[in-house]
Formats: sequence, structure tokens, C-alpha cells
Amino acid sequence: MAFLLQPDIVRYNCTCGSLKPISRIYFCRHCLKIRCGYCVCHEVDSHYCANCLENLPSSEARLKKNRCAACLDCPSCLNTVSTRSTNISTQNPDDPNKTVTRKAYYLACGFCRWTSRDVGLPDQTVATGGWPERENVHAARISSLLEHYKVLALRERQEKERKKFIPRRSYLHFSDKFGLTAMMARKRAGLPTLGGVGIKDETGSIPDIIPSEAVEEVDSLPADIYIKPVDLAQVTTLSQRLAQPEFQPELVSDLFPAHKHLMIKRSQRCRSCEHNVSKPEYNPGSIKFKIQLAAYYHVPEIRIVTCELLRIGQESQLIIRLCNPTQHQTVIQFLPLPSAEEDLEEREKEIEEKKKKQAEKKDAEKTSQGRDDVSILLPSLSRQTSISEDPRPVNVKLTGDVILPSSSVVLPPRDDAAEYDDSGETYHFQDDPKVVMWRKANKAAVKIAVVPLDSATEAGHVLVGFVMKYTYVNTMATLDQKEPQKVDLKVKVFINAGKTVGACT
Amino acid sequence: MPLYEGIGLTEKQAVVIDIGAAYTKFGFAGESGPRCIVRTEIKCPETKQVKKVLNYSSEEELYDLLVEFIHVLYFRHLLVSPKDRRVVIVESLLCPTAFRETLAKVLFRHFEVSSILFVPSHLVSLCTLGVNTALVLDVGYVEAILIPVFEGVPVLHAWQAQPRAAEAVQSSLKASLLNINSEKEDFPESTIEDIKVRTCFVTSLTRATQLEAVDQPPDVVYREGGSEIVHIPGKVRETVYEVLFEQDNDQMSVSTMILDAIIKCPIDMRKPLAENILVIGGTAMAPGFKARLLDELKHLLQQPKYASRLALKTFKFHKPPAKENYVAWLGGAIFGGTDMISTRSLTKEAYVKHSSLPDWADLSYNCREEDKISL
Repeated sequence: MAFLLQPDIVRYNCTCGSLKPISRIYFCRHCLKIRCGYCVCHEVDSHYCANCLENLPSSEARLKKNRCAACLDCPSCLNTVSTRSTNISTQNPDDPNKTVTRKAYYLACGFCRWTSRDVGLPDQTVATGGWPERENVHAARISSLLEHYKVLALRERQEKERKKFIPRRSYLHFSDKFGLTAMMARKRAGLPTLGGVGIKDETGSIPDIIPSEAVEEVDSLPADIYIKPVDLAQVTTLSQRLAQPEFQPELVSDLFPAHKHLMIKRSQRCRSCEHNVSKPEYNPGSIKFKIQLAAYYHVPEIRIVTCELLRIGQESQLIIRLCNPTQHQTVIQFLPLPSAEEDLEEREKEIEEKKKKQAEKKDAEKTSQGRDDVSILLPSLSRQTSISEDPRPVNVKLTGDVILPSSSVVLPPRDDAAEYDDSGETYHFQDDPKVVMWRKANKAAVKIAVVPLDSATEAGHVLVGFVMKYTYVNTMATLDQKEPQKVDLKVKVFINAGKTVGACT
Repeated sequence: MPLYEGIGLTEKQAVVIDIGAAYTKFGFAGESGPRCIVRTEIKCPETKQVKKVLNYSSEEELYDLLVEFIHVLYFRHLLVSPKDRRVVIVESLLCPTAFRETLAKVLFRHFEVSSILFVPSHLVSLCTLGVNTALVLDVGYVEAILIPVFEGVPVLHAWQAQPRAAEAVQSSLKASLLNINSEKEDFPESTIEDIKVRTCFVTSLTRATQLEAVDQPPDVVYREGGSEIVHIPGKVRETVYEVLFEQDNDQMSVSTMILDAIIKCPIDMRKPLAENILVIGGTAMAPGFKARLLDELKHLLQQPKYASRLALKTFKFHKPPAKENYVAWLGGAIFGGTDMISTRSLTKEAYVKHSSLPDWADLSYNCREEDKISL
């Protein structure tokens, strides 16, 4: 399957303008539009360790800095290290003449033969964990700097806010009228105003930090660098250093194992309707999905069966196979690609529609804000204004004309049992034999004529495009309609028919 | 499950990104080190070739490359959803407008981040020291950029930039290795970088002045890909970094940049700047780099060109609480860990409303209120 779908022979045009094979696109059943990895919103769903397949909640993953508590990476070749056990004999503390053997555990890398004994890490008595953790030596200094700047920033913010509350001088003459003289007198005398209103100085004093002291001495070269031969096996490579950004050890003897970095499962969300188009199961061991709206299950699939030799300027036959993956009968029609102006118009319509939707969303937000103030208190709860990318024009150059069949093709629904049914199939479709070559279950082979253009020689392949119009039965129940609805959908398809003959000359 | 995260009571942790010409530093605000330092390159979605993000030919291409690259950063390295999360971007003051605008567009439109805070890398590097005045020299991959900062204000007219950084070192190393190993046709950039990092060093000033006379350091046999042997003579190991310090026809080098910048500053600033030098950037991690720089500065002060104009006696260097290659990132992480992120960020709403990005070079953003009226 991967072989059939991976090469970019038949590409579908996503709503965002990119061209992808059918295995790489989604079909949002709520907006009835094609989406792809580029135009959906990716979200982190669950964290897991790729080695021990343990699932971590995101809060815990954040606490552990996205690293697995149990698994460790080799600092030398960055593969996972395994724990090895050996028997070591030590003297019995009670009876010096006897020795006892006990198990000791050390880490070893099966790929590069690095062991924790190489760097002098003591063996552990337990098989799991207990390995010494390294701390950034500057951590305390950095956190005191952070505290200092936090208070400074808070103070600046408060001063800014205080400025807003300074009464304008021109109103001072009202003070007598409203009995504010006492307050003004206090203010003039420099005393604090009475009452707890206003802004109090909550910040307190700025925590003192010792500013860094510049020194005249700098790290000089080691004296023996001009005579000591370099043993490259003892010097770490750049990737080994950058794997531990805070330490960046320069010598192999300073390499310590690091906890394994976690991986994530992602869910994809349609940006316009905010429904999931793909959501994996939480269990890291499972490769199944809770939601998987892949286009492969909804949009008719096109594959090339055969193609006659392509000669520039001559008509040749291209046979494609259509397959209906849905549970409903579909009618497929072929239309020529819209002209550039029509295309532009369509895209503008799309952008307009998006804007309208956003305006609606904003209105809805405003009314909800009037109702309760939760969004003001907790800004992260209210939905933020969403601006997304506008669809782009398709960026391909056609190198062939296509003569499309005028009649439509009806495809029966998918029936998994039909695959095993060898009995003579009878179809009641009034097929035009000039269009439909053969039929089998939910598939049909259709003839199309291709005329390569002169530009095909230069491009090296013949690229043709057309619009496929298909009927889709929308079974998504919404508030307005409960019944399944039949809709006509269009998708632009681009086929790479291959090289032309005699183009080499 | 993601439901618990930031249910409004605590704000989601902001991310800090420092996109360098060679390496990108990426992590969370308020942490003591980046989560990852990765090469700024990505497989191009069309040609399927690994491509440096900054080698773009058009803004559209840059847009696509950035989408792919930042997607990997979020979902492979940081493992958080970018949506509705704040971003701190550590950028150079000399960053091209086209790049920062495309980056903002990618983050706001494609990743739907809630706000972006641009911070100048030279200025925030001071946050890692707790001082307000320093002369910051950033020796990165493409160029060395120097901007003095005095009492928290970058002294822009004294800025210096020279294409003397890792790229220059690597091309000189490649040229001399190809010269010696004549049977080789080309070395991949990663091999050259590996040789540079593992075997080369910055020699002292006294040896550099008499390179022909001194005994060479030992040669190294490097096994490329484990099998092919490349001979690296000791002389090459010692001399590749000389491109940074050799004065060119304009009598410029990394060390003269510092003195030239100090001369451009008012006389009262000169002493504090000379006594607060901060060197950042990955190339500054080369063994012996700072020692050589200090020696060069002292030596240059004796030269007639500077002796008559500068009355400085001492140069002092700061030691930041981080490795040089992520000092600017750490500054951004400290700055982004404070309230500044909510008061100074460019929010999505403001971006949509004005559809432009505030920039220091733009007078409509960067002038005082009273001047604005006269404008």
C-alpha cells in the first residue's frame, strides 16, 4: 500500500493550496473540506517514553523536563543504554575471612560499548534508578537573577499603572468644594494618604543581587597544548556536547548518561470548525485512533492503471481506476480545471467566508462576555481571535491537455464481502463503453485521453489536471438537520502521467 | 492530559527562541538552560534536501522553511502546543526586516501564538550578569557583532560588525586541508566543523607573531567517517583561528572592533566599557580565544594608532553563568521569565490591528511622545 500511495503520481489539491497524495490528506466531515498536515492545527496529545512505552500526564512530563524517569541515553552515541548486572565479591563485615557475593548494576551501551564504569560512576545495588543527577552549577545564581528582575519588572509595571491614576491638576480647585482639603494637605506634606484604596507598594524591597564582577584574568590555554598529542577518542564531538546544552562536556571522561527524551502523540484539529480530524488513543502501545478522518475513507481514490506511450502533441489513452470508499453510492463527474480568474475568485470567496465566520465568532464572544466576566478574569478561558493563513494558489505547471469523458460514472457503495464474492457480477448501470472499461464491486476503470504539450520535454514529465466532482452523503447530524444529506463536492486532481517518448533527443 | 495545563490560573510557560545562523537555541522562559541546541537547518518540503533556514532565496521560501523548522522544534524538542502560548524571540539588532516579519507571520498565522516579545540579544545578555553597562561582542557563525550597552541603553552609533566568525575559520581550515590532502576533492561542512571543534585552538599572541620559528604542535590523524584518513598538521591546528585576529587592508580585526567601538563612545563611557567586556557566541568557546583577545587588546594599546587616542589601562572580562553559545538565550529566558512578557509583548490583536511589526529603526515606534506630535 505504501508503495502504491507514496509516490506523488496522483495528487489532490487541499483547500489550503498544497498538493498531496490521498494518503496524506484529511477530510473534515464537519466542513466537508479537504485538509492536510499543513493547514490543520497540531496539538500535543500525550507524552510517552519511546523505550519503556510509559504514558506520562503532561503536568508530570513538564515537571520532569520531558524526560523519562527510568530510561537513560548513552552520552556517547545517544542510543538507549541498558542496565547490566555482575556479581562482585566483597568481604563479609562480620567474618573477614569469608567473602559474600552480591549483585552490582552498571549501565552499558550495546552500540558503542560505553559503560558507566568508563566515567567512574559507582555501581548501583538496585537495578532501577539511583543514578546520580547532575545539577547546573549556575542554577542558584540564575534563579537569584531571575528573582531580582522579576521584582524590577513588577515595579515598573506598577509605576506605569500608578501614572494612570494621577489626578489632573486642573481639577484641584474642586478639592475645597468636596472637602478634600485634608487629604490634599497630607499629600502636600508628603504623608501617605489615608485609607487603603489606591495602590500600595506591595513589591517590598528589590532582592539584592551581587552584580557580576569583571576580572582581568581569563582562561588561558593549557600549557601543554603545544606539545601534548591529541587523542581524538578522548575529545567529545559537537553533537555529544550539544546533547547536554547546560554542561557541554569537552572530554569523554565528563560524559554522563542523560534521561531519555519523551515523545508525543499528536492530535490534529481543523482550524475552521475546531473539530478533530485525527486523534490517537492515549495508550502509547496502541497504533489506533479515536478519530481518524483520513480522506482515504471519504474521497474517491484515483489510481493509474495503464497509460499509452506519450508523444508530444498526440492523443494517448490513460486508464485510471476510481474507487468509492464510502458506504453510499457516489456519482463522479469530470470537469476541466477552472481558469486563473475563476480560481482567484474562488479563493477570494473562501477568504471572505473565513472572515465572516470569524466575525460571527467575535460577536458570539462579545455576547458571552456581557453575560459573565469569566473571560476577563481568566483570559485563557476565552477564545482568542483567530487569524489563519489564507489559501494559496496551486503552484504547478501543467504540461499536458486532457480530454475528459462527458458522461458521469456511478460507483456502488463499498462492500467488504464483495471482495470474496466470485459469482458473476451483474451491474445495472448504463455505462458508456467508451468511458468505462470494466467494473468490479465499488471500483471502475475509466478512460481519459492525454495530449502532452511541448513544455513536457523540458519538465521531463506530463502533468495533467482536472476537477473531480463527486456526490458525498453527509451523515453528520447537526442541530439543523438530522437526516443524511447528499452534497456535490469538488476536488482538483493532478496526475503525473509519466515521461514522453522520444523526449531524449 | 492537556486539559490541566494552564487552566487560566497559571499562565502557560513562554518559550524562548534564539535563531542563529548555525545553531538555534530553544527552551522555556525562566529556565537555566535551553532544552535543545540544534542546527538551523531543515529538510526542504519540495526538494527533500537538507537546507539551512537562513539560506533562503525568497520570503515565500523562508516562510515554508520556517514553518517546517519551528514545527520540528515544538513537536520534537519542546513537546508543547504552540497555540496560545507566548514567544520570546532573541534577535540581533541588525536582523533583516524581511526575516523578522516573516518569522512573526509564521508564528502568528501558522502557529497561532498569543504574543511575541522581540528582545535584542546584546542587551538581554546583560541580564545574565546583573549589570547595566557592558561592551558585548557576539562572535557567532557568519559575523562578529559588537554593540556597547551603557546603563541599559545600546550605544548604536558605536556598533561594529565584521565577517570574522566561525564561517571564516571553517573556510580557511577547509582550504588548508584541501591543500594538504590533495587526493580529497571536498570536505563536508560537518567534518570541517568537527575538526575545528576537536583539534584546533587559538594560539597565543607571542607565538602568532613568529609562527614560522616555533615548534609545531603535534599532528593529528583524523578518521573521516571512521575509515578515510585525513592528516591535520599541527600548524593548521594552530593557525586556523588567525583569520579572526589578522588585520585586513582596513586594519580591522576582532580585537580592533573593541577599541574602535570604545573610541566612538563618549569619553565618560570608555573606562566602564573597557572594564566590562562580555564575549558571547559559539566561536568564543574556542580554547584560548579570550586570552588571545586580551593580549591583542593590550598589544594594540601600545600601537601609535590607539596609544594617542585611548588612555585605558585595564580590560576586564565578565564570566556569564552559562556557556558562551547560549548566553543570549539565557538573557532572553530571564527577561521572558518576568512580568515584562505581559507588558511589552506584541499581542496577536495588536498585530492584526496594525498588521506591522514594531522595529527600532522605524520612527513611528521609536521616538519620544513629544517628538511624535511634531512628526
